[in-house]
Amino acid sequence: MASNPMQQFTVHRIGPEIKIAGVDLSFTNASLFMVISTSLILLFLYLGSKEKKIIPNKIQLIAEMFFTFVAKMISDTAGSKAKPYFPFIFSLFIFVLFCNMIGMLPYSFTVTSHIIVTLIMALFIFIAVTIIGFVKHGFKYLSIFVPSGVPTVLLPLITIIEIISYLSRPVSLSVRLFANMMAGHTMLKVFGGFVVSLGILGGWLPLSFSVALTGLEILVAFLQAYVFAILTCIYLNDALNLHH
Amino acid sequence: MKSFLSFLIAIKVISSNLFAAEAGMPQLDPTYWASQAFWLILVFTILYISISKFYLPKIRENLDNRENKIKEDLEFAYKFKEKSEAKLKEYELILENAKKEVSKIHFESKNNLDKDIQSKKEKIEKEIEKEILEAQKKITELKKNSISSIQIISENIASNIIENLSGDKLNESSVKASVEEITKKNIGKYL
Repeated sequence: MASNPMQQFTVHRIGPEIKIAGVDLSFTNASLFMVISTSLILLFLYLGSKEKKIIPNKIQLIAEMFFTFVAKMISDTAGSKAKPYFPFIFSLFIFVLFCNMIGMLPYSFTVTSHIIVTLIMALFIFIAVTIIGFVKHGFKYLSIFVPSGVPTVLLPLITIIEIISYLSRPVSLSVRLFANMMAGHTMLKVFGGFVVSLGILGGWLPLSFSVALTGLEILVAFLQAYVFAILTCIYLNDALNLHH
Repeated sequence: MKSFLSFLIAIKVISSNLFAAEAGMPQLDPTYWASQAFWLILVFTILYISISKFYLPKIRENLDNRENKIKEDLEFAYKFKEKSEAKLKEYELILENAKKEVSKIHFESKNNLDKDIQSKKEKIEKEIEKEILEAQKKITELKKNSISSIQIISENIASNIIENLSGDKLNESSVKASVEEITKKNIGKYL
């Protein structure tokens, strides 16, 4: 019996129903895995920064590697002006990474495989970046839609394209992460179903695929977290360093 | 090949079953959207605050401490290196001075010895010369003495020989005179 590969994405309530002003805010399995991810991150960071050793132990070394990795990513893409946003980018990266990675465990739930979650993050980034751009540059920020060195004839067209591409940023950012996670997990589930239904004789081939896919999915989990964070850095860079 | 074919067939069968059973994407069911949004914002806010307030400053402090420590250690090492280099130079200087002194002492003592030897040699040579002179004097005196005694002996011998040969007694003074004459003529041969 092959179960529905999309079933792993269903959200169900855990515990009592919480309704505030007619809106259902119940604690669900998605909330549970958000809390688990966050707890693990905080535990990891606590252990990583507990002992202030000159020669770090393993967990401290990993925490410091995360720190330098994100710090380097920000300074490479957005420059020194983006330093105040370092904690946010760091939280974003590590949250997406942990959610993705915990989703790789069997019987777990992948928080980032839900469009609503990624869309909220992307929208928050989009709105925040736009506000930062207007605060830093005023109405000059609108010049981001008018690239320099374009022939006047093409300028209206290019401007419209630029506006559309700017407005589609939250969509592309959220759909990229959500689609990657959902597709990967569905594939894993489908191949897992093949293993069961083909049995001991034919199940080996999909099983080997499944193993390879798991490796690939771990790579994707890291890569998508990285892409999410670095695109945020790039958008932030556009808002901070207006170059035209 | 056979197993591959059966695998393909199985895929066909299963996938048709799967898609028949599919009831759409749970992600698009809006029942729990508000809940997810609420919990996401809540959890992420907590995460952001604790990271930005507690953990990142701590980690940054750790990294800074390490960097400072390394810098300090490097500075110390540099200082120590300079010190050791200075000491090495000092040591080399001392060594050089000592070497100079050694050669100086060596030279001086050699000179002294040479002088000493020279003076002693001269003294001894003088003494030897003196003694040689004295010995020569003695020898000449002895020779002179021996010559005069030889003269007397030869006078006696000559008079005795002549007496024996001729049987006459000779005048002593004439014998003496003839011996002296002969002696004077031949004295060079004996001296």
